[in-house]
Amino acid sequence: MKKAKIGNQNRHNLAFSFLLICAVIMLFPFVWMILSAFKTSVDVYAYPPRWIPSRWSWDNFSRVFEMIPFLRYYLNSTLTSVIQTALQIVISILGAYSLVHLRWPGQRFMATVMRSSMFVPMVVTMIPMYLLIASLGLLDSYAGIILPQINTAFTTFLLMSYFSSIPKDMIDAAQLDGCGPFGVMMRVVIPNTKGAIATATLFSFLGNWKSYTWPLIATTKEEYRTLPIGLRYLMQESSSEYQVMMAASVMTILPVLILFIFFEKQLVRSITLTGMKT
Amino acid sequence: MKKLTMAKILTALLLTATLTAGCVGNYAKQETTTAPAPATTQAPATTQAPATTPAQPAGETTKAPESTAATLPDLKGTSLEVWYAVSGTSGELFSQMSDSFAKQTGATLNLSYSGGSGDTATKVSAALLTNTQPDVALMYAGPLYTGGQGDYSINELLDKGEGVDKNDIFPGMLSYCTYMGDGVCAVPFGISTQVMYYNKDILKAAGVDMTNPPKTWAEFYTVLGTVMEKGNINNTADFTAFDTNDEAWLFKSMLMQNGCEIVENESGHIKAIFNNEQAVQVADYWHSLVEAGYMAAGEHNNAENKFLSGNLAFVAASSNRITRWNGTTSFELGAIEMPYFTQPSLALGGNVIVILTRDPAKVAAAWQYISYLTNVENNTAFALGTGYLPIHKSALEQEAVKKAIAENEMYGVAFKQLDYTWAYTHFEQMGTMDVQIKSMLTKLEKGRGGSQDLLNKAVETLQKEIDDN
Repeated sequence: MKKAKIGNQNRHNLAFSFLLICAVIMLFPFVWMILSAFKTSVDVYAYPPRWIPSRWSWDNFSRVFEMIPFLRYYLNSTLTSVIQTALQIVISILGAYSLVHLRWPGQRFMATVMRSSMFVPMVVTMIPMYLLIASLGLLDSYAGIILPQINTAFTTFLLMSYFSSIPKDMIDAAQLDGCGPFGVMMRVVIPNTKGAIATATLFSFLGNWKSYTWPLIATTKEEYRTLPIGLRYLMQESSSEYQVMMAASVMTILPVLILFIFFEKQLVRSITLTGMKT
Repeated sequence: MKKLTMAKILTALLLTATLTAGCVGNYAKQETTTAPAPATTQAPATTQAPATTPAQPAGETTKAPESTAATLPDLKGTSLEVWYAVSGTSGELFSQMSDSFAKQTGATLNLSYSGGSGDTATKVSAALLTNTQPDVALMYAGPLYTGGQGDYSINELLDKGEGVDKNDIFPGMLSYCTYMGDGVCAVPFGISTQVMYYNKDILKAAGVDMTNPPKTWAEFYTVLGTVMEKGNINNTADFTAFDTNDEAWLFKSMLMQNGCEIVENESGHIKAIFNNEQAVQVADYWHSLVEAGYMAAGEHNNAENKFLSGNLAFVAASSNRITRWNGTTSFELGAIEMPYFTQPSLALGGNVIVILTRDPAKVAAAWQYISYLTNVENNTAFALGTGYLPIHKSALEQEAVKKAIAENEMYGVAFKQLDYTWAYTHFEQMGTMDVQIKSMLTKLEKGRGGSQDLLNKAVETLQKEIDDN
């Protein structure tokens, strides 16, 4: 009994050590980014690598604000990412629900078309999309940034895989109780896939937060530009002043990190509360 | 807090952003009316002499000069949309110079950063299709969008001799501004060549006398051997003697140095020829560098970081690093002229300014703007502030340039190289050519084929794309 307990303890220690190493590897770039934000360029390129800055300095942060209208970009990124995410999730839920739980002509064909669209690189659709947005007079507007990016096949298919795991009996029972298609979606499907929706929301938000090419193409005015464009501006041609880039990155990543912490709790809680293996 | 739902968090973020965006929106609008560029917090200098910052460490803000060289016209009521593809310090300086022009002429310049070279190309291509192009663009491969569209208005403006003195521009730079060998259809601005930088501490430790630097690639090879033997002052396993952060650019220069013209323009049809005997000799030399362990295989993306961390003795990189690296390295930095095979020769790279509007009034205003940016005084200041090269021959007679060279020998090296710079004509598949050369060099370095075979394959692939279009 005692032997088994010791063996168990050793296994735990081994697993703990392994996970600790993995955590250090995962955290390394993050810690490096934070420390580099306070370094001089000599410190950044020092060999052997200098972990701790020789002189802690906030200059890199103030330089970011000197070089770009950081706050403006920050707000634009927040605004466009939140609206885009919300619209993406609503559209994806509706799309996934209709493709999984409703029956209509051309349903399978539509699913195939959507699936195929995932393999078309954005660079191919960029110019046609630009032509469309320009013809609608939406260049240099929030709508011009947001609208072309609200329909994502990836989010829809992610949700489809979860929606299809809901037992048909549960849906039949809801229908027997008088729920129509919309009622089934709102009262059965969504409440039982909160965890999946939270995951999809997180993925969508991250994708939108770091979206660079389309907002750059669709805008020319400062008041509509987003953070990734600002970060690119901070880069020198072909190389970077890493310490300034790192300062900007630290400030950029903070809201995403906070959001992730919130969503992580939601995600775990949703799965626990629903009592479903989504 | 625990009761917060996702929807509530998103809504809260959205509301906060909307409210604050509204507040900041007004502030931003006030700024962009007169100074729309990102670096709007700093007013241009009013009394500062041009080009006073030659030895400025990277990261410090350079102030644009306020030209007094010529009387500028009154352009009140004229508005120009300007896209520019330079960022960082170069972007800041460009913005400040533009603001200075706007201030002196009363013109409204709506400046917009258009991303990197690829992003700008996509943006301009799309904009041309919808007639939403800017009036002026500072971009890479600009002739494709003017000469490529049959627009040679810049050539006509240059021929009139008003504003920009064509005869004072280095011939290689004018060639860089042509399309398919026809007339000039852009104005050079932010041009550079590669310079051979070196770590003086390493060379000193290796006992190499750099007062008499290697002139040919053969001499350079001997120096690399000595450096590998005695120059690893950090005692690191990944120490190598030489590398470049842009292998295609250097390879093209080396081809030209060995008498290979790279491409031929046969009455408007481009023919790739970089698989001839001279090209094979260059490829063989390249391979020998890797084989001897003097250059790491396929690690060019890391060359700059490796050099800055003191684990690389020589690096061939753009002349704009002169300003960027000055005063920021932990070792003493030096530069020599690029070694050569049979003749000194260096390929030009960088941006050009193009006029994309067809409105005659705007073209005239755009030409005033370009003339201002590229006059000897302003262009020299831009060159010294960024490490890009001055476009005028007479710039080298400027006091500021002489002072810069006296203070920083690397400027002297870069400017001396201007005597033998060249450019091949712009053609649509230039990007493909660079991709093919890079791919060929990677395979060569990793021993996946012989020089002749790999060059043949690269040329065939490029030629097929040229012919198909």
